[in-house]
Amino acid sequence: METEALKDSETSYSKGELQDMIATYLGSDNVPQRFKIITDTSDFFRVDYNDVVILADVPYLMRNYTKEGRFGLDDEPKYWVRKAIDLKEQKAKIIKLVFHEEIEARVGDMVFKCVRSPGKEAAILEMVSGHKNFMQGIAIRDTAGNIVRILDFIQGKRLDELIIKLADKHEEFFYEHLPDYLAVYREMIKAIQFLHDKGQKHGDIRRDHILFDRNTGDYRWIDFDYDYYHEANMFGYDLFGLGNILVFLVGGGDLTIQTLQAGHSPFLEKLSPADMNIIFNNRVANLQKIYPYIPDALNYVLLHFSNGANLYYENTGQLLEDLAEVQIST
Amino acid sequence: MSVDHTKCDITGVVERHIMIAVDTSDNARRAVLFVGDFFGCYEGFQVTLLHIILEPEATFFHDNDERQKWLADRLAEANKIMEEYKHILIDAGFPQDKVNVRIDTMRGPSIADCIIKEQEEMKCCTIVIGRRGISKKEEFIFGSTSNKIIHEAKKCAVLVIE
Repeated sequence: METEALKDSETSYSKGELQDMIATYLGSDNVPQRFKIITDTSDFFRVDYNDVVILADVPYLMRNYTKEGRFGLDDEPKYWVRKAIDLKEQKAKIIKLVFHEEIEARVGDMVFKCVRSPGKEAAILEMVSGHKNFMQGIAIRDTAGNIVRILDFIQGKRLDELIIKLADKHEEFFYEHLPDYLAVYREMIKAIQFLHDKGQKHGDIRRDHILFDRNTGDYRWIDFDYDYYHEANMFGYDLFGLGNILVFLVGGGDLTIQTLQAGHSPFLEKLSPADMNIIFNNRVANLQKIYPYIPDALNYVLLHFSNGANLYYENTGQLLEDLAEVQIST
Repeated sequence: MSVDHTKCDITGVVERHIMIAVDTSDNARRAVLFVGDFFGCYEGFQVTLLHIILEPEATFFHDNDERQKWLADRLAEANKIMEEYKHILIDAGFPQDKVNVRIDTMRGPSIADCIIKEQEEMKCCTIVIGRRGISKKEEFIFGSTSNKIIHEAKKCAVLVIE
């Protein structure tokens, strides 16, 4: 059987050398006999499982593509985001190949144009190098000039998964766990403030874009390749994302009209349209009406993200300032 | 004795220099029509039509060709509309040499920041801007240029035209 590797460009590695490196990581029984050596990743569909991508003279063994959960929907495959093994360092990585995508982002009933920008993510990676609250990695141009991002693999759970596990009984969660998570949340806002101060936006702030890195004990923002054209406020969409995370944290999950109806909640009749999330009108933002032990100072912050708000946060500093007033004590 | 309206008063503000911050929208046109209607028949006013093109970071674009095309399209659009606005003001009675046209391509967190920066540099006594009439949701996520100017402009009057 033909076992020659298929090269699309000259590299400094022979097939045998690569197989030896693969054997070191996977064991000699798991070394692929036939694989492509790729230096131009323009067509990411061509990059198959077990292929080796060479970037800046470092070989990466490609593994499965990743998936991203969207709320209420099955996980969507991200064919351009691959698990990989750095064969030189013998470490797990995530490799993001270039996918120029224009997306119609939907927020509630609003639609706006977003782009996926590898250059933006590369610039931020450089900016946040060594910052404990961001994913870490480098960007390398392949032989065709594509900006490929090579990210450290973060072992750990998403913030939302951690919260949902803890929040079975809200009052217990509120007093025992929320103070620690609010401290984490403030730390994560400060990380976003760091970006904003440097003239960058995250672009896709969501609760599943915070990972708990169990190796370092740090929470990290991930996935900052989204970009959109802004005119009136560059940071508004990021603040919207931060607000949603806060409402989720304080509620110990999303508290929706549907869940209240399903539980025949007596609080339903107390709620008015002004109490709901300004964008997602089925989510309760005025959580004090459901959980009266939420202190006024915290609910005051939540109300900035409600339909009844007349004043919005324009920057992270304003949000941090109000959060500094929040005390939770039994 | 005649009064020189281009001289500064004690606050350093040039008298009667009106800035109209515009774009290609209908509300901007309304702001221009308002200024023409209210001030066009008086002497001693100077108007600057300011159009800011807020340029995204280079990484927003696929490549430099796309960026250049984006900028060229915006500039062509701005030039065309500014010519129209200039004629509206001249037809309303402003002397030709009292109508300035300025198109600036800038980077910044918001158009309002750029407008205020220009107002401070030019020392205009009034900013006139049209209100887009955006929804509460849009204002929450994307912000409002006119609201930001109302809150942050200093040492000048702000006229917001509905």
